[in-house]
Amino acid sequence: MIQINSLTKSFTSKTGKGFKKETVTVNAVNEVSFECKPGRIFSLLGPNGAGKTTTLRMIAGIINPTSGSAIVDGIDISQGNDEVKKRIGFLTGSTGLYERLNPDETLDFFGKLYKLSPAELSERKEYLFEKLGINEFRKKRMGQMSTGMKQKVSIARTLIHDPEVLIFDEPTSGLDVITADSIIDLIRESKANNKTVIFSSHIMSEVDLLCDDLAIINNGSIIYNDTFDHFKRDMKADNLTQEFINRVKEA
Amino acid sequence: MNELFIIIKKELTELLRDKKTIINSIVLPMLLLPILMFGFVKVMGMIQKNNEAKPLKIGMVNAPTEFVQLVKSDTLNIITNYDESIDFKTLIDDETIQTAVVFPNNFSTQMDSLQSSVVEIHRNGSKESVNNRFSKILETYGNSLEDKRLTQLSISKEKLIPFHKSYVEVGEQKEIIGKSVGGFIPYIFILTMWGGCLLAGIDLVTGEKERKTIETTLSLPVSKFKVLMGKTVVASLLGFIPALLNLIGLILGLKFIDDIPDDFKLALNEMLNFQSITMILLLLIPFSLFLAGLIIALVAGATTFKEAQSKAGPIMIVIIIPLVMALMPGIEFTWTTALIPVLNIGLGVKEIMAGTIDMGMYIAMLVSLIAFAVAAIYFSYRKFSDENAILK
Repeated sequence: MIQINSLTKSFTSKTGKGFKKETVTVNAVNEVSFECKPGRIFSLLGPNGAGKTTTLRMIAGIINPTSGSAIVDGIDISQGNDEVKKRIGFLTGSTGLYERLNPDETLDFFGKLYKLSPAELSERKEYLFEKLGINEFRKKRMGQMSTGMKQKVSIARTLIHDPEVLIFDEPTSGLDVITADSIIDLIRESKANNKTVIFSSHIMSEVDLLCDDLAIINNGSIIYNDTFDHFKRDMKADNLTQEFINRVKEA
Repeated sequence: MNELFIIIKKELTELLRDKKTIINSIVLPMLLLPILMFGFVKVMGMIQKNNEAKPLKIGMVNAPTEFVQLVKSDTLNIITNYDESIDFKTLIDDETIQTAVVFPNNFSTQMDSLQSSVVEIHRNGSKESVNNRFSKILETYGNSLEDKRLTQLSISKEKLIPFHKSYVEVGEQKEIIGKSVGGFIPYIFILTMWGGCLLAGIDLVTGEKERKTIETTLSLPVSKFKVLMGKTVVASLLGFIPALLNLIGLILGLKFIDDIPDDFKLALNEMLNFQSITMILLLLIPFSLFLAGLIIALVAGATTFKEAQSKAGPIMIVIIIPLVMALMPGIEFTWTTALIPVLNIGLGVKEIMAGTIDMGMYIAMLVSLIAFAVAAIYFSYRKFSDENAILK
């Protein structure tokens, strides 16, 4: 379960030339609230720069919110950042894998930091390698792998600690359809396993395939938050993409 | 603590799988000093041999017979006699001759009447080898004339020397060589340390951004401080290891390279004993942490390798200036200089190698380096925690 209440993130930057400096504060995410339930897939939609990644990074404990709260699996991120991180699996489109390590070493590294016992780590690793077909290239360095292979390893490292909450930040961006399909399968499977799933995207076909609940974010603020069934029921445009565009423009 | 070791192990594994790091941090430092020593000894020997084997072309005007005979006694010398003083500059410039000597017309008369004469020497000051060789010939000739005059005047040479200087050396050879050579050793150490820390620091922070793994790293259930400490320790190790290999290279070079003067070799061997090496290495641990912290703080906001290099590069000047100061005469290892980073290592290593270090000052220097390392790590933590900079 994820409960987000009035989550805000401001970034301050200094601009200007010479000795004249101006401090500019921008709210990348402004008073955002929503709820993601276990066994349901929550889609966070929005155009580029809307605040999707910033919101997900706050939930994942990568950055700290300026104000508001995010309760992940019963823990407030402001109270126990590392404890929250242990309950989360975070996956992005850019696999984020260490190029000079191989899959075996990568999963060992993550597993140890997630404090899995050696037996648990070994069992979980073998299960994921078998399931995702990583065994053939488990000793190959990431830098020498294809994007598809890397994405499989990326999925394995996201799931190594069997997290209760899964966060996918534009997970299929830049991937071919076959690799993207493996991610779609993973999201579906996570739902079936009663995990809390949140994913950001601007690809409406993916949303249509997966989504149970959705929120649309634009310029850092939530402009729509309801179930996907209601969204489809209230649609005025002919298709999902057009409806999404219209809602963003109206906001 | 266990988490820190896991991070260090991973960062070290990654870095040591990079060929660039292996070459810069392991291979080059190990070979640098032996190659420099071997190259210096061999090249200097070759240049000297080469110069000695070259003919010396001398132009002469009114040269007395004894002088001509003396010059001719070395068959490598080529003499060209001129009737009068001409444009020797052009002749030296176009290498017809290398130097010219002009004796006055009445030189023999002046000598016979025990007068002082003026001999004009035309030369190019930049041709050191030619000038040295010719000066020696002229000195020999001058000495022979001096002896002749003394005999003629029936004066014993002894009478012209009121006293002989007899030096009693109280400084050990180790101290003398330590103070002169000891200044150059930290120069090499610190530059290789800087190079190692810089490469590693950039790879571990900016490299993570370029490879888009920083987000993954920050999503780990480990505090940012531990992540930063892991990176700092690894960057400092990659600075410390080359310095250690420099030392090993120096010791191996001394052992296996011939042609190094024996007394010099002996003194250096004596200087590089277990105690002095341990004391030097102990200083380098906080210093490498200081460098790593400083570099990470500087490159935390950079998004590309090039940008990181341009941000950290200018600091090199801040490091070189105190190092050069440490080599200057008059700048001593005092309670004040012991507290200035880089300068204290430059001066302190000199004292350690000479065996004259004051232990109180050594401890003060070590404590100050630890304090600077802590400050640099704190500074880098502040920068590393800046979400604007690190996730740029």
